[in-house]
Amino acid sequence: MTPVIEASGLVKTFGTARALDGLDLDVAPGEVHGFLGPNGAGKSTTIRVLLGLLRADGGSVRLLGGDPWRDAVALHRRLAYVPGDVTLWPGVTGGEAIDLLGRLQGGVDPARRAELLERFDLDPRKRARTYSKGNRQKVALVAALASDAELFVLDEPTSGLDPLMEAVFQEEVRALRAQGRTVLLSSHVLAEAENLCDRLTIVRRGRTVQSGTLAGMRHLTRTSVTVETDRPVHGLAQLPGVHDLRTDGGRSHMDVDTDALDDVVRLLAGCGVRSLVSAPPTLEELFLRHYGDELAADGIPALAVR
Amino acid sequence: MRAPRTTLSGTGPLVRFALRRDRVRLPVWIGVGAGLVATQSVSSQALYDSPQDLAAYAASVGANAATIALSGPPVGLVTVAGAVAFEISSFVVVLTALMAAATTGRHTRADEEAGRAELVRAARVGRHAPLAAAVLVAAAACLAMALAIGTAATATGLPADGSFLLGASVGAAGLVFTGVTAVAVQVAASARAAQGAVAAVLGAAFVLRALGDVQGSWPVWTSPIGWAQATHPYSGNRVLPLALCLVATGVLLAVAVALLDRRDLGSGLLAARPGPASAPWSLRSPLGLAVRLHRGAFAGWTAGLALLGVALGGLAGSVETLFGDNPEARAFLPDAASVVDAYLATALSMAALLSGAYAASAVLRARAEEAAGRAEPVLATATGRVAWLGGHAAVALVGATLLLLVAGAAVGAVRALATGEPAELGRLLGATGAYLPAVWVLAGLAVALSGLLPRPAAALAWAAVAYVTVTTFFAASLDWPGWVDAASPLAWTPLVPVDDAAAAPLAVLTAVAAALLGAGLAGFRHRDLVAG
Repeated sequence: MTPVIEASGLVKTFGTARALDGLDLDVAPGEVHGFLGPNGAGKSTTIRVLLGLLRADGGSVRLLGGDPWRDAVALHRRLAYVPGDVTLWPGVTGGEAIDLLGRLQGGVDPARRAELLERFDLDPRKRARTYSKGNRQKVALVAALASDAELFVLDEPTSGLDPLMEAVFQEEVRALRAQGRTVLLSSHVLAEAENLCDRLTIVRRGRTVQSGTLAGMRHLTRTSVTVETDRPVHGLAQLPGVHDLRTDGGRSHMDVDTDALDDVVRLLAGCGVRSLVSAPPTLEELFLRHYGDELAADGIPALAVR
Repeated sequence: MRAPRTTLSGTGPLVRFALRRDRVRLPVWIGVGAGLVATQSVSSQALYDSPQDLAAYAASVGANAATIALSGPPVGLVTVAGAVAFEISSFVVVLTALMAAATTGRHTRADEEAGRAELVRAARVGRHAPLAAAVLVAAAACLAMALAIGTAATATGLPADGSFLLGASVGAAGLVFTGVTAVAVQVAASARAAQGAVAAVLGAAFVLRALGDVQGSWPVWTSPIGWAQATHPYSGNRVLPLALCLVATGVLLAVAVALLDRRDLGSGLLAARPGPASAPWSLRSPLGLAVRLHRGAFAGWTAGLALLGVALGGLAGSVETLFGDNPEARAFLPDAASVVDAYLATALSMAALLSGAYAASAVLRARAEEAAGRAEPVLATATGRVAWLGGHAAVALVGATLLLLVAGAAVGAVRALATGEPAELGRLLGATGAYLPAVWVLAGLAVALSGLLPRPAAALAWAAVAYVTVTTFFAASLDWPGWVDAASPLAWTPLVPVDDAAAAPLAVLTAVAAALLGAGLAGFRHRDLVAG
């Protein structure tokens, strides 16, 4: 199957600042693809290149089989976009903005529009100048979700939404996936990506640092194990793949590389296990490993956040 | 009930902060006001340098209802100083009222809407402090305007007592509009609606004053502008009308404080009415969006240019009279008709410049939309770059064309009524057409700049408008070298009705406008969107 988004070696510079520095991104049809990275990593710049709002200085990019810069208008009929920072026209009501953006994109389904207004609890009769950030975000979400697009490009779509609305949003994204649509979801809310995404691309400083399924990435990282035993466990510290071991009486805590788990469990089995808690690595830990050196440079220990 | 000291605490720092935020704006307002008075003073003294000239002038304006409606009561015209006050006072009063309204609104409701006031009020700042600070800053600006006008008039050779009284009346009118704005921001549903209400009050005050002055009757006394002009600087030198302004200001401020205690932060006493839940049929294309975004400003410009056309057309009568009574002018100009036509050509140039300024502002609106990030969601839909910028450019071109024709029609209609020749309307409307290509060039230039040089586009487009204005009105009188205005489209425009409408320069200007438009649209098609 041809990928929906196929970008390789993207470069974009603004003056002397290099916003994208050889970024790769591949999104397959029908998947929800998480696009993760800290602020300033180049997520929004990549999305603007994909939308043909910026022209890449280097690399190649294909979107829905076309050139996002040259074929912008034709491609935009097939996609819907929610910007990270939604700005609307102060004197135009939310309902008018939804209709305008929907019509410009290719049409709004009135029943779907009404349903989404209801679900997101948005009053369409208020002028945009009186909307809060969350409500402006909802206007863009309703306009995008009410369209019949193949590809949804969502740039940090839940910033400003309360947890209730975030849950509604997650249901809507799952519904899109069930219908076979493709979603590119940029985020720095890791729980959201963990919940929704089939595959992830992690970027930093304009480069892709890792890409794949969450499960596939987990083998690259460590499982956290807490164990209580009858007898003290000897030799744990000597096992390769065991990190940050702390022992407190009968309790031991450690982080274990995935391929060393088997050895650790064998060793523990001989010591009378009374309780064992093992937690798979969270995306947060994955993330912290990738950005650990940046945090360390700022004087923050990488594992302080747990 | 809290002591007043508590509700006012924090006023001092807020005043200093507001003065810092307005450190450029307020001096510009005041500089323009004092500059207008100084310019009028110098040019009037040069024009009416003999008693005969002054008498002819007084006779002509004393009988001209249009001039009186525009300027004020025709008193004190026996001295040049009185003529200066007559000519300029209504303009500087309106300018000062706008300054007071903008300053008061900016530091009250506009800050509340932007969310800044919330942050400020969460600190140790009393409930009345932001209003008190805004009023104090606006009042200080009115006082500074009064002193600057007095100084400017005295420095250019007018009597000091009348000059400072002129300044004081202008400042006092500004104070009344500070009070009007203070009330409006408590009542209106939004900061924008409040400014609209103040503009309506200012318009009503102007119309009542004009009506009263033309008839010499009581409606003058219902208008703060009428009170300010009732001081009769340089002739009666009356001080009592100033007291009327001060009392009205005090009453308005008391009302504002009482209303402030009855409303919530961020909303007026009138609740914002809900708007339409769905978009009208017209809002379905980039052009439809552009029309929607521009219609408010366009309505304002149309009203302004129609009024200006009426005023300029009315003044043509006094030009005729003045010429008839001035033997010197008769000696070197052939006949009255051509003098009036020369005046009408200048009037139409003025209308063309204003239409060009509208065209530039309308095109730059597109650039402002882009900078604010509002172009991005639209261009992420199936909307092409050319259609989007072209929509704004189309509104600018058609709008500016209509504005100039409205002004020309107003001049023509007034002339037709004054001369009793209906053909004047057609003749002057036709003459107006000759100025359209120059307006289109200014619009095309703004499109080209927005497409090719987005960041400095606004500054450069306004610089071009300023250049055309200065060269049109000052190049000849200041004896500048001939090449100075070579790049001005108005310099290439035949000055109809004095000159004949030559087709060649108009065709060239139209072609230049089209080329600029094409270059701008192509440039926008090939560049990145530039936010901020």
